[in-house]
Amino acid sequence: MAVQAQELHTVTVTLRDGKLIPPTLEVPAHTRFKIVIRNEGRGPAEFESRSLRKEKVLAPGATSFVVVAPLKPGTYDMFDEFHEKTATGTIVAR
Amino acid sequence: MTSALIIVWRESVEAILVIAILYAWLRNNDARAGLRWLGYGVAAGLAVAAMLGAAMVALHASFEWFQALILFAAALLIVQMVGWMREHGRTLKRELESGAHKALVSGNFAGLALLAAIAVAREGAETVLFLYGLVVEQSGSGLAAVGAGAALGLIAAIATFWLLSSGARWMSWPTFFRVSEALLLVFASALVVGGVDRLLDMGVLLAEAPHWDSAWLIDDARGVGNVLQQFAGYRARPDTYELGAWLGYWLLAFGWLNRARLLKHA
Repeated sequence: MAVQAQELHTVTVTLRDGKLIPPTLEVPAHTRFKIVIRNEGRGPAEFESRSLRKEKVLAPGATSFVVVAPLKPGTYDMFDEFHEKTATGTIVAR
Repeated sequence: MTSALIIVWRESVEAILVIAILYAWLRNNDARAGLRWLGYGVAAGLAVAAMLGAAMVALHASFEWFQALILFAAALLIVQMVGWMREHGRTLKRELESGAHKALVSGNFAGLALLAAIAVAREGAETVLFLYGLVVEQSGSGLAAVGAGAALGLIAAIATFWLLSSGARWMSWPTFFRVSEALLLVFASALVVGGVDRLLDMGVLLAEAPHWDSAWLIDDARGVGNVLQQFAGYRARPDTYELGAWLGYWLLAFGWLNRARLLKHA
């Protein structure tokens, strides 16, 4: 699993106390890619994207990732469900 | 406050559905021993959820494999439980009273407890982490507000349980039995597809582009489509694995539940 996953195009998003850094992720369209998610906040966070159907709960200090199947060009949502008011962002596939 | 309410309620509603059905079924059969097992299961589930949440915080880990495999385990247990309820739905009361098949009955009660425990532990760990976050990040009036939201979420969850299990009373028993059997089987299909999604997230399975896009008709990101996604394994943009898992599940579940009839014809 690790071997295949490591060869993928990778972008990183950091969740920090109700902020998504960076708020916009650019990814290539029609290509499988991997989002590495770090939680650098004091409390737990839940990375979520409704349009990509991804959910990942992260304890403080935890790092994980999700692999995303090839996307059509377009804009997809992402947010931290535990800090929904402030932590919203977009994933742009082109 | 509202998001705390929604998170606590939503994370518990799946477990509540499963437990309310098992509870109503046992109560209708006067199966006191079974109710006790169900209680043990729920308690064990809460304990596992708390431990899992604590381990995630302490180890900065996400336990991806565990979270994927537990979904398949829960689906398997549901199909097994539905099969057992079907076979013994009418006779359990008598069997319990006469002490017949005691080992078989208590073995299945243990399975029932395990199912309840998994149902609670699975989403419970997330709630534990969420509540832990409230305590770490909030203070004063902020903490009071989200705390109140979480408490209301818990009350809403208990109300949902009460509604579901009293639903068993106003429906005729055969109807309730058929409806709950269908609900459990449909829900297990969602668990299987969800488990496949976890494996896709982990890169264990690598999917190509989806086969179609029915989001224009029913969008799985919101509303009815989102409920169908969570409870029936609906995907607006399914890939080969999700499609195969969903179809494979129904074939196997149907075949196993009807194996007696199918074998007779073979």
